[in-house]
Amino acid sequence: MKRRGGIAIALVAVMAAALASTAGAGSSAVEQSQAVSCKSTLKIGFAAPFTGGAAYLGNEQLSWAKYAVKTLAPKYGLKVKLVTGDIPVENGPAGALTIAQKFAADKSVVVMIGPSTSGSVAASSQTYFDAGLAHITASATRTSLTKGAVKEATPYFFRVVSGDYIQGPQDAKFMIKKGAKNVVVFDFQEPYSQGLSDAAEKVLKAGGVTTTHLSVSNLVTDFSTFVTKVPSNADFVFFPAQKPADAQNFAQQLIEQGKKAKVFGGDGTASADQFKVPGSYVSVFSPDISTIPYDKPLIAGWKKDNPGATLGPFGPAQYLSVQVALNAVKRACDAGKGQIIDRRAVARNVKRIYVKNSILGSDFRFSTKSNDPLNGGFYIFEIQSNGSYKDITASTK
Amino acid sequence: MSGGYDDELTRPLKGALEATTSEGPTSPAVGRDEWVARHGDNRMGRGGRLGLLEDRLRFVPWWAWLTLFVVLFSLVPVASDSGYVRRVAFDIAIYMLLALGLNVVVGWGGLLDLGYVAFFGIGAYSYALLSSDHYGIHLPTIVAIPLVVVIGACVGFLVGLPSRRLTGDYLAIVTLFFLQLFLTVTTNGDDLFGHNVTGGANGILRVDPLSFFGHALPVSRQGGLFNPAYLYVVLAVFVVVFVALRFVNLSRTGRAWRSLREDPLAAEVMGMPVNSLKLMSFAFGAAIAALTGTFVTAVNASAFPLSFSFPLLIIVYTMVILGGAGNQAGVVLGAVLVGILLELLRDPGDSRVLFYAVVVLGLFAALRLSVRFAVVLAGVAVFGLVVHSIAGAIDSGWVNGSGGEGGGVADAMANWVVVPVAPAGWVAPVSYISVVSLALVLTLVRGWARLALLVPVLYLAAFVWENVMIAHPEPTRYIVLGVLLIALMILRPSGLLGEKRVEII
Amino acid sequence: MDNFIQLTLNGLTLGSVYALIALGYSLVYGILKLLNFAHGDVFMVGTFIGFGALQLLGGSTDPIVPVWLLLILITFAAMAGCAVLGVAIERFAYRPLRDAPRIAPLISALGVSFFLAYSMQLMFGSSLRNYDTFSLSGGALYFNGFDIGNVRVPLIRIITIVSAFVMMILLWLLVTRTRVGKAMRATSFDREAAAMMGIDIDKVIVFAFVLGSALAGAAGVLFALRIPTYTGIGFLIGLKGFTAAVIGGIGSIPGAMAGGLVLGFAESYTQGYVSTRWSDLFVFVILILFLMFRPQGILGKADIRKV
Repeated sequence: MKRRGGIAIALVAVMAAALASTAGAGSSAVEQSQAVSCKSTLKIGFAAPFTGGAAYLGNEQLSWAKYAVKTLAPKYGLKVKLVTGDIPVENGPAGALTIAQKFAADKSVVVMIGPSTSGSVAASSQTYFDAGLAHITASATRTSLTKGAVKEATPYFFRVVSGDYIQGPQDAKFMIKKGAKNVVVFDFQEPYSQGLSDAAEKVLKAGGVTTTHLSVSNLVTDFSTFVTKVPSNADFVFFPAQKPADAQNFAQQLIEQGKKAKVFGGDGTASADQFKVPGSYVSVFSPDISTIPYDKPLIAGWKKDNPGATLGPFGPAQYLSVQVALNAVKRACDAGKGQIIDRRAVARNVKRIYVKNSILGSDFRFSTKSNDPLNGGFYIFEIQSNGSYKDITASTK
Repeated sequence: MSGGYDDELTRPLKGALEATTSEGPTSPAVGRDEWVARHGDNRMGRGGRLGLLEDRLRFVPWWAWLTLFVVLFSLVPVASDSGYVRRVAFDIAIYMLLALGLNVVVGWGGLLDLGYVAFFGIGAYSYALLSSDHYGIHLPTIVAIPLVVVIGACVGFLVGLPSRRLTGDYLAIVTLFFLQLFLTVTTNGDDLFGHNVTGGANGILRVDPLSFFGHALPVSRQGGLFNPAYLYVVLAVFVVVFVALRFVNLSRTGRAWRSLREDPLAAEVMGMPVNSLKLMSFAFGAAIAALTGTFVTAVNASAFPLSFSFPLLIIVYTMVILGGAGNQAGVVLGAVLVGILLELLRDPGDSRVLFYAVVVLGLFAALRLSVRFAVVLAGVAVFGLVVHSIAGAIDSGWVNGSGGEGGGVADAMANWVVVPVAPAGWVAPVSYISVVSLALVLTLVRGWARLALLVPVLYLAAFVWENVMIAHPEPTRYIVLGVLLIALMILRPSGLLGEKRVEII
Repeated sequence: MDNFIQLTLNGLTLGSVYALIALGYSLVYGILKLLNFAHGDVFMVGTFIGFGALQLLGGSTDPIVPVWLLLILITFAAMAGCAVLGVAIERFAYRPLRDAPRIAPLISALGVSFFLAYSMQLMFGSSLRNYDTFSLSGGALYFNGFDIGNVRVPLIRIITIVSAFVMMILLWLLVTRTRVGKAMRATSFDREAAAMMGIDIDKVIVFAFVLGSALAGAAGVLFALRIPTYTGIGFLIGLKGFTAAVIGGIGSIPGAMAGGLVLGFAESYTQGYVSTRWSDLFVFVILILFLMFRPQGILGKADIRKV
């Protein structure tokens, strides 16, 4: 061990020092039963993909979450800080576990919004439950998280948007109503699309529609062969991709190869910038809030903080989740007389929250049977000839 | 941890003179191959007190270093109550095991195995299938783990079979494709001829925790904190594997592997069973990787295909190369360093401190305590302050954007680095490409021009780090690893503790 | 029958792109015996340079030059940009390792691949970039073309296939009929002997990288005209191009072309007739069989080492 020994020692010393400073930050609490004062800065954890293929989702949600914290926290008399953890979808759900540990270890994190992806929820919900942290998502719509013989998520998992068990059948019913006789259903070999496609296919089959099921990896961008496999008499292609550009590309290739089928995308394809082939349809879990009158000041305020950003479908739901979270925190503070005795106190309060005239256009409360919204629904948009999205949900009921 | 002397024959006699030179420690050990380089008289030593210290340290036996390391490691849960820190320690222990396994294949066997993490995944999935609700099989850990190790060894053997006829680069391709195969099968394995075998992209959930003699080891304790018992289990396994491998390395097999690595043709001509040796090193590496997979799966209580993809491979390779392929102590050290680096990079405040620390240390290592060192440091500081004040004077929105995480260091640096509040879209790509190009140009110039160019490059690097890279920990960590790999291969292929191989002309 | 024609067309289009990439691998391997893992990422950078050039020239809905000139310009930009990148990679990451054991430049190549892919992700994000060729001149590239039976062959595919073949033929002519080509072939045969005959090895190697990377850049534009690109695409497509080079015979130029087409057809037919899920598996198995039983590929020469 010569010169390299010296360098090695120096490097180890630096690393140890750096890690020691980190350790110092996190080691302040052992038992979660130590109370947190409501006058100190409380933290809300937010785990979402901020880098990687789904970054547009996480970043849009982040902008609304920040706006919500900024405007709502003072109204409840709380000092709140948003702490983030990045869970890129390329790394799979396992990364969510480390982030969960990080939040669980920090005593001033009293509630979590997110995780934003269904796979991450399935992987880390148990950790949050053990730590007593309520986790309120605005986009993890997989059905098996809250329904089924074995639920993948724990009782502290909440959703402010409806699950795919509503989206799939609703989309299928729409297609049947439009007179579809032959539909191609896609899945992208990952949890979200598989859940949606299975739910939709079941309803389609029950409605007497001939279905073809195609499966493609979500890393593939060349859909030529798949387009070839779409029968020429197919009316719809149900395309629950997670990247709007894929839906756009697919729709264009359908036209190129002379197929008459229309593309029906799930909420993962909702982006007026990227998916805009006229005649296609998209289902989203929140309406276009710019049509809701009392949301106008909210939108104006958000636009001021985010100049140049366009209004997307994912942000407003995140605002609602922050609202619910802050509400629950406030209740826990009141019940504990200015202190949050336990994170579980916050979690227990979430279910009872009722928001009148929520940002999504209707009153919001949780269903008593599950931690999903009561009377939730999805909204169907049709892409017009100029590429804009038109909400046609009313005409489908 | 060997101090360089693996067996009695090559240890120098006590008191023997070591060759020293006034040139200092830049002279390498002279020798065409490792054995010659290691031989006592061929070493170059360092003068002064540091040299004496190193001489003394050389006589510390390897197991003393191992014990010290393990004891320090075990004290981490005592030093910190944070579940997060304990979980990170567990992750690092896992990396150490993986690095040991890869060391067998790459460092000792000399085979470039680019599919190594597939064995890790096979071990993980095997354990998940054998101890979960998926098929309803709940084998006790005592049975499951050895079974998984055997499975891993068998698969390693099978994958190694094509290696008999293939040279280095072709073997790399085949193993890389094997990894892709593994990923494809696990991702699509929820529809293998109608059977849900691997759970597909959803993975396998609700995997049993480890259980010994009927007592299950819960993964998390009061309040969701990570159970340090798992850390101790992995550390114990690490010690066993380390010692076992060390004895294998000292045996005939180890020597045969060394000869195979140095010159496969000559080894074959001398009668070494080259094919069996290659297969054995594959099997050993795969078995260790599979073993590691079981612990990770038990702790996560789940297994997903994407956890075993190419980026993880690069991480483990960086650990092995950084530490020194072929040297067990080295790869363990590499694992610890890279593991800590990755965790530090996750947090903006830590990343900031890390960057400045590395810059200062790097300058120190390159320039030592000299006038040039002081000049460069002072130059960078002054340059930065000047630019900052000019930018601030033009538009205060140009300098007030710092998030402020990182405590005292961040506050001090906020007055030095330019951090715009809302940078335009072109700032990130332009500054990043500029700093990379300038850094490359830096390697081309010499002398005082290099020092002069170093000042703006360092400042630009700080700018890019603060504005672009801290906010994106994911790409940043892989960029750092990629650069590290390239730099290591060019500047120091033997890593930190590996043996240098130099030609005698 | 229509299905078959469409699948063949798909295979041909895709195979042309693979062939261009495989050529780059072959050129570098032939001379340096180095598997340039970073080649796929050079391809990816090419797609992004093309995209950037497209935006500079007004974007796909409102280009400031006629469509044909636009296509030529962005292809040229991508080729030039990738050539520069290839030269830089060779100069800084591979040249210092030219005399090191074989494993060293391979690992360095891995590092470069990672560095490129994640640097692009850092600078430009991970979202898909769509050239939106469909909008160019109102979809003319998609709607014009000729028909084979019921299958339409749009202009865009004709452009892809023809350009690729033209470039491959030009390259082949360059390698076999010019002095520079002769120097390259000599260097790949025996580097030391070529040096002794007065050939400037450094220049030849740089030239090989320039050619290979430029071809990758062109392949990038041809690919991205039809299919959206993202920063992670380099790894996947590079792997495919690599497979094509090996199947066809690495080090051989006609081999790379053959290998690319074979791979394109194999993928297309497998996806069409067997299963979309397992087509990748099928391709890997083909590759492994080739490597085990005919490592020199279809058109390569067996590498006999004399002891």
